[in-house]
Amino acid sequence: MIELHELRKVYGPTTAADGVSMQVKTGEIFGFLGANGAGKTTTIRMICGLTRPTSGRGTINGLDIWRDRHRIRTQFGYVAQKFSLYGDLSVVENLRFFGGAYRIAPSILDERIPRLLAQMDLEAHRDKKAGHLSGGMKQLLALACALIHDPPLLLLDEPTAGLDPVHRQQLWNLLYDLGTAGKTIVVTTHYMDEAERCTQVGFLQKGRLLAQSPPRILRNSFRDQLLEVHCEPAMTALAAIRKHPAVLGAALRSGHIRVYSEHAPTLLADWQNEWPFADCTWHGFQWIEPDMEDVFSAYSQGYDALLKPISSPTV
Amino acid sequence: MKSATSLSAIASVAYKEMLHIWRDRRVLVLILILPPFFTLLFGYAFAGMSMSKIPTVLDDLDHTPDSAKLVEKLKADDTFAWKDAPAPIGNDLLAMKAAAVIRIPAGWGDSLKKGHPLPVELIADGSDTNTEPVLEGVLKKTLGDVQVDREQDVIDALPDDVMDLAQKLPESLRNQFATLLDQWPVQSTILYNPKLRFIDYVTPGIIGLILQLLTVTLMALTITRERDTGTFSQLMVTALRQHEIILGKMLTYLLISIFLILTTIAVAGLHFQVVFHHPGILSLTCFLFLLSSLALGLLLSAISQTQTQAIQFAVFYLLPVFPLSGAFASLDQLPGGVRFVSELFPLTHFCRAFRLINFQSAGWNYLAGDLAFLLVSTAACCGIAALLLKRAQD
Repeated sequence: MIELHELRKVYGPTTAADGVSMQVKTGEIFGFLGANGAGKTTTIRMICGLTRPTSGRGTINGLDIWRDRHRIRTQFGYVAQKFSLYGDLSVVENLRFFGGAYRIAPSILDERIPRLLAQMDLEAHRDKKAGHLSGGMKQLLALACALIHDPPLLLLDEPTAGLDPVHRQQLWNLLYDLGTAGKTIVVTTHYMDEAERCTQVGFLQKGRLLAQSPPRILRNSFRDQLLEVHCEPAMTALAAIRKHPAVLGAALRSGHIRVYSEHAPTLLADWQNEWPFADCTWHGFQWIEPDMEDVFSAYSQGYDALLKPISSPTV
Repeated sequence: MKSATSLSAIASVAYKEMLHIWRDRRVLVLILILPPFFTLLFGYAFAGMSMSKIPTVLDDLDHTPDSAKLVEKLKADDTFAWKDAPAPIGNDLLAMKAAAVIRIPAGWGDSLKKGHPLPVELIADGSDTNTEPVLEGVLKKTLGDVQVDREQDVIDALPDDVMDLAQKLPESLRNQFATLLDQWPVQSTILYNPKLRFIDYVTPGIIGLILQLLTVTLMALTITRERDTGTFSQLMVTALRQHEIILGKMLTYLLISIFLILTTIAVAGLHFQVVFHHPGILSLTCFLFLLSSLALGLLLSAISQTQTQAIQFAVFYLLPVFPLSGAFASLDQLPGGVRFVSELFPLTHFCRAFRLINFQSAGWNYLAGDLAFLLVSTAACCGIAALLLKRAQD
């Protein structure tokens, strides 16, 4: 569906995307992960043909994302990061306008708009001004507008940013339904639980794609389980453990401290033998299977020593 | 997917744009109110450009039959509204709440008889540059009338033998003397704007003012607003091409501008009985000006990134336009260099062409330059805007 090859975008002194190469196959839900400023939005905008790539090339269904940008626009729907519908138009007026903008015949719109409203659970708000909708409903309307021309591909830039958990759940259920219905979906996010729901995940950092794999494979890219220690007070222990020379990093999770270290078994043996941090008390430990957040930390913090070499980008 | 024509895409943009205006009540009110408001304002505020009832104090220090004659003639002129002031009358116009003092000096009557007439004094307020020339003109004319009367009296009083002597002069010489003694008459015939009303003159200026204020700024804001809210990107990923978006928006403001012109003309015509000649070519001129205003708005939106910038550019453009375009006053007084600048504004050419057509029924050869300028400036603005928007996309 989508193929990117060494896609680069340079804005003056900053390189927003630095040679991104990847593939998205038809029917996948592809999650772009990365911190703010990692190049997710730039990459999506280049795929949309909104920004001209400085170099490299990309195709959607074989059509060039820049040269053929006018022809591929009917192939995808785009939900921008910022709410970008018309706040002074009603829900139905927005849908009608975008339908017209995609040159959909009014007779088809008459049938499609009620269906989309039902799907998004927006029927009760059909005549409300889009600007007066709640954040979650705005996002649902944006999704409906992106689907008005029934495109095979959906590009969503942080669609759940700022949403409450209920609407986040609703939106993801919809995306699953759409995926099941055969649509290809590319979604950027920095929620790790959302990354778990994708069929493919790509890690972007500083404009570079660090890894692209299904979430399960990414989780398995750790060499070992992770050590989690229980001690009190947790914050004091966290600060102390972070300073330990054999520790790459540590994170607080549900009150316990997750230790990123390639020498975890040795550390554990030492600590069980003699707990070095006098101002906090040792309560025990456990071995934990890494989750997506660990993967994200490992990639974004550069804990390469913890990862298997196979997880390099596969294109 | 391509079955629908580009025309329906343009129409859907235009319809959306209409909805925006309909929902934005402030803009709607401006569109409905400005044309009648400006027309009535200019129609009434400047109705009496021929001045009358200027508060003036008359100070006759002479008190002779001669001064009485002058006073009598001055009192008959309705240019003045005579005010009384306690003697002695000084020059404090502010205290007397008067615009001028006319003072006939003591001994004025005697000085006339001696052949060395003393000047009649006019003390006028220089901070009001319009009043002084009017007063001076009226005073000179009145003095002239008094002088002619006196000449007649002098001739009537000549002894008979002088008249006999005069009869012996050759006729041509006699006529020359007669001409010298008479006041030379002026008969002014007003061509082209016979009613000499300001409203007739200023109607194209009002149309220009409204189109420059509303059409240019609204058009400049419509694209920058979409950029500000992010909807422009959303539009760009639809099947709409950039030119369809722009044409759709232009179509909306074209219709609104036609409405603005028609309401201005209706108020001027129905309320002030302004007559419009040659409706065909007048409409063409208005239409060309309208296009140039739209194109200018488009250019402003192309050079600005945000609405704030667009407003700043619009103000920067609008400020010099009104004094320099000849919309409300003749350009003849402007110095050469500034007149060259004024020729760069479409409004200058529109006002000139409108007046040439409506007042002078001028032929194509007089209009071609102005109409061509409107056309060329439209094309230039659109071309530059297209180039800038294309570059912005890369």
